[in-house]
Amino acid sequence: MNDFINTYGFLIISLVLQAILALSMYLPLMAGQLSLATPGFYAIGGYVAAILSVRTFLPASGTTFPEPLQSFVLWLGTVFPATPQGQAFPVSLLLVEMLIAGVLCGLLAIIVGLPALRLRGIYLALATIAFVEIVRVVSLNLPITGGSIGIFGIPQPYPTKFEFAWIAVPFLVIVALFVYRLERVRVGRALVSLREDELAAAAMGINPTYHKVLAFTLGAVIAGACGALSAHFINTWNARQGTFDASILILAYVIIGGSRTWLGPIVGAFLLTALPEVLRGAADVQGIPTFLAQFLKDGRLIIFGLLIAFSTLFFPQGLITPNLFKRRGGSEGER
Amino acid sequence: MLAQQLANGLAIGSVYAIFALGYTLIFSILGIINFAHGAIFTLGAYFTYTLMGLQFGFNGLLAQQKLPFGLPFWVALLVGAVIAGLFGVFLERIIFRPLRARGADPLLTLVASLGLAVAIVNIIQYLVGAETYSYPSGAALPGAPASVNFGTTEAPVIIRTAQLIIIAVAVLILIVLTFFINRTKTGRALRAVSEDATTSSLLGINTNQLIRLTFFLSGFVGGVAGTLVGLNVGITGPYLGISFGLKGLAVIVLGGLGSIPGAVVGGLLIGIVEALVPASLVSYRDALAFAILFIVLLVRPQGLLGRPLIQKV
Amino acid sequence: MRFSRKFFLLVLVLTLAALVGLQLTTAQDQAPIQIGVAVAQTSNVALLGQEQVIGAQIAEAFFNERGGVNGRPIQLVLQDTAGDEAGAINAFQTLISANVVGILGPTLSQQAFSADPLAEQAGVPVLAPSNTAKGIPEIGEFIARVSAPVAVVAPNAVAAALDINPDIKTVAVFYAQNDAFATSETGTFQETVTARGLTLLPVQTFQTTDTDFSAQITNVLPSNPELVIISGLAADGGNLVKQLRELGYTGLIIGGNGLNTSNVFPVCQALCDGIIIAQAYSYQADTEINRAFVEAYTAGQGKNPPQFSAQAFAGIQVFVEALTRLDNVIPLETLDVAQTRALLNAFILTGRYDTPLGTLTFTRDGEIIQAQFYVAQIDMADDGQTGQFVFIR
Repeated sequence: MNDFINTYGFLIISLVLQAILALSMYLPLMAGQLSLATPGFYAIGGYVAAILSVRTFLPASGTTFPEPLQSFVLWLGTVFPATPQGQAFPVSLLLVEMLIAGVLCGLLAIIVGLPALRLRGIYLALATIAFVEIVRVVSLNLPITGGSIGIFGIPQPYPTKFEFAWIAVPFLVIVALFVYRLERVRVGRALVSLREDELAAAAMGINPTYHKVLAFTLGAVIAGACGALSAHFINTWNARQGTFDASILILAYVIIGGSRTWLGPIVGAFLLTALPEVLRGAADVQGIPTFLAQFLKDGRLIIFGLLIAFSTLFFPQGLITPNLFKRRGGSEGER
Repeated sequence: MLAQQLANGLAIGSVYAIFALGYTLIFSILGIINFAHGAIFTLGAYFTYTLMGLQFGFNGLLAQQKLPFGLPFWVALLVGAVIAGLFGVFLERIIFRPLRARGADPLLTLVASLGLAVAIVNIIQYLVGAETYSYPSGAALPGAPASVNFGTTEAPVIIRTAQLIIIAVAVLILIVLTFFINRTKTGRALRAVSEDATTSSLLGINTNQLIRLTFFLSGFVGGVAGTLVGLNVGITGPYLGISFGLKGLAVIVLGGLGSIPGAVVGGLLIGIVEALVPASLVSYRDALAFAILFIVLLVRPQGLLGRPLIQKV
Repeated sequence: MRFSRKFFLLVLVLTLAALVGLQLTTAQDQAPIQIGVAVAQTSNVALLGQEQVIGAQIAEAFFNERGGVNGRPIQLVLQDTAGDEAGAINAFQTLISANVVGILGPTLSQQAFSADPLAEQAGVPVLAPSNTAKGIPEIGEFIARVSAPVAVVAPNAVAAALDINPDIKTVAVFYAQNDAFATSETGTFQETVTARGLTLLPVQTFQTTDTDFSAQITNVLPSNPELVIISGLAADGGNLVKQLRELGYTGLIIGGNGLNTSNVFPVCQALCDGIIIAQAYSYQADTEINRAFVEAYTAGQGKNPPQFSAQAFAGIQVFVEALTRLDNVIPLETLDVAQTRALLNAFILTGRYDTPLGTLTFTRDGEIIQAQFYVAQIDMADDGQTGQFVFIR
């Protein structure tokens, strides 16, 4: 068991974090908005945590900032003191970082979302990809984000990766419960009605802009906080985190898992994140023919890609559909 | 200097445009974003390389293999593009048609095409390794100069020959496709399918056959494009085409989704915007290009040459 | 025949003893020493990882043929990191749990910042075969590298360019801003240019995924630079060279370490000719070990070995030689994995290694001290398909 956790501890927490990101993308999708901005906010959240905990905001020795900024930076330096070698980073500060990242991303989401959410479908998707790309290029250029090398040596709150579960699992549970509840209260139903038919929803007195921006902002807050946690989790942060590729992958989690219910994105994220590692492990299973082991090793991404492609055939609505619950749980009074 | 940068913009944009042509074709008829297009584009480049009878490197399953014969470049390009087109038809048969038959969400189709792209790229690497390949120099136009100066010696406006070929072929493909879609019976049937597949099949149009044709054309154009870009920048590895996915998507949306001239206009425009970024801001080039894209989308959400969205009532 | 009976018994006993002994040695043979190799075998950095795997595998075969670690063979355990941070951590974690004595990897510096702390924590020695960013050995005491940061190499290349053309006044610098390798390298190049009193034109950046560089070229070409310095990787760097030439640039070109691979040849073909390359490795280095390495590489790959393969070879060599010295002091079979790893790390850092890269030692931090660096110039064959690096400094 211990061996299992040592080997797969990182993977298990990765699954949880990816599931949180999938839910972050699922929220705007609930309102029918194909937003791919999640990795952008995730990247910003990670930078917030990296900058604060590694203290790259401090001026290089000898230089000073203009006054109000200088005092602020020095004050920030007392809030986020240097973590001495060999000591754990305080969990309370990690939570503060997640909060700051969430709030910052939420504000940014309102600014970006208000104009962008007038767009629909693929146009909105592209506008949000543009946002992700702008975040990437800007972070490559700013000194505070460390250019292409990024920020490294991010202090660790826990001695092992698996112990990140203390934060990641409650985080996922809270987000999942939140989305689960949201699907059943008035605001959530308003979001769903926007997805089904925006004109009809608007005619019924639902404010489309308000609800769309709300869903988008909630997704951004979650993605930002998740980024802050991830920065500590993977020890380093750079412009390669949260890119177009990540947008598409997270979209795949949601779609493969099922985009009509909160559980779908979680299941999709678990499966698609675990799959390459399961294939890696399968190659080491005793007793399978050598050529197969070799192919599992060298060709695991071929299998991964084909599984994604063909699973869409077998599960055209995604793996988890709302009907799955209805059949078991009886009527829910919808439709 | 400005003239040269405009020429550079055309050069950069021509690659985006030729990539986007096959990409937008499928979107215009079927309304799906086919991420596997980048992989077919890459395959086209490798097919041509193989058909020229050139040898593979030392990695992968096909290490050091080569065909017993070698075709001249332009023949290999056409045959390779036909194979790429047939490959597109194959993908349509095994994935896209069953998905269509099941009435799948367009997003699901997008994810399926992503899976195909991942698989194809890794199959390429599995077979021939990740190393760079290239066609022999002078393969396309033996004896042609490397670049052509359209300006004077004092104020040169230089465009590289490889890029002139790409611009010319892109325009040629554009003309042929436009003629085909607007002036031929099959083309008109295709447009009918893109307007409303159900009604057109009721009218006796063989929808499946036309969609197969679309995939063939898209794969063919992608194969030609892949080979020409490979000629221009070398076959830089299995990710050759995938790396255009992001810009390609931007191009077809900017040009107006499903508009074939829009793909060319959008490609050239993004290229020109990138070229005109001042020297001191060049490190922000991609961000500026996407910022402009963002603004264009806000002002003209249907893209430059796209039809306005019809509000359903 | 008493005599022969005695003889028979003696033979019997000896045979049994030999069999037992043989069984013991075969038991040892069956338990090779496992060394982890975690590099990018997939993703868009696979080009680099592929070269590293080849280098490491040549080292495995080479040293096993020479008796491995005092007769006990080594065995590589390959794990693909892909191109991202999470992949690197997963690969490292798998190797650490598989009880390898040390890890060679990962491919990218960014991945190292992510995965190396895990190895540090688990007490597993890591040798970085290609991480050149500042701060890698400082990650911890178990982290060392065989890839020299370019600070030493770059000034040599500029000096070589000035030898060829003493009239160089104006220099244009290009670098791939999304590549950690290129970003650290270009800093050194720019400092060198300024320190030499040369005029530096506005620095031009690109992305490793770019294919067209004409806009950046037009930004500097009208100022008539006499020297262009490029820090990038094989595909983008090669295309930049090609486009510089096709757009009319005739001066000297210095390529950074990322262009030190024959993979640039297919990209810029005949136009690669004359590129000056700052190298941490030269296949022409005339040492016994390098000749053996080049021979093994050429036999399998049909071309001369690139730097990435040589560095991976050197990494495995450092592991093998340090293990051998350790085994000489304390036999390995008396140690458990944790002890082996800890002692191995100490032995790695205190050793002196004659590798294909030249003679290597390490600082106490694990930073490489490499005795030789090279400057070479690319010489393309007339058909523009094959070429070689000609050592000039």
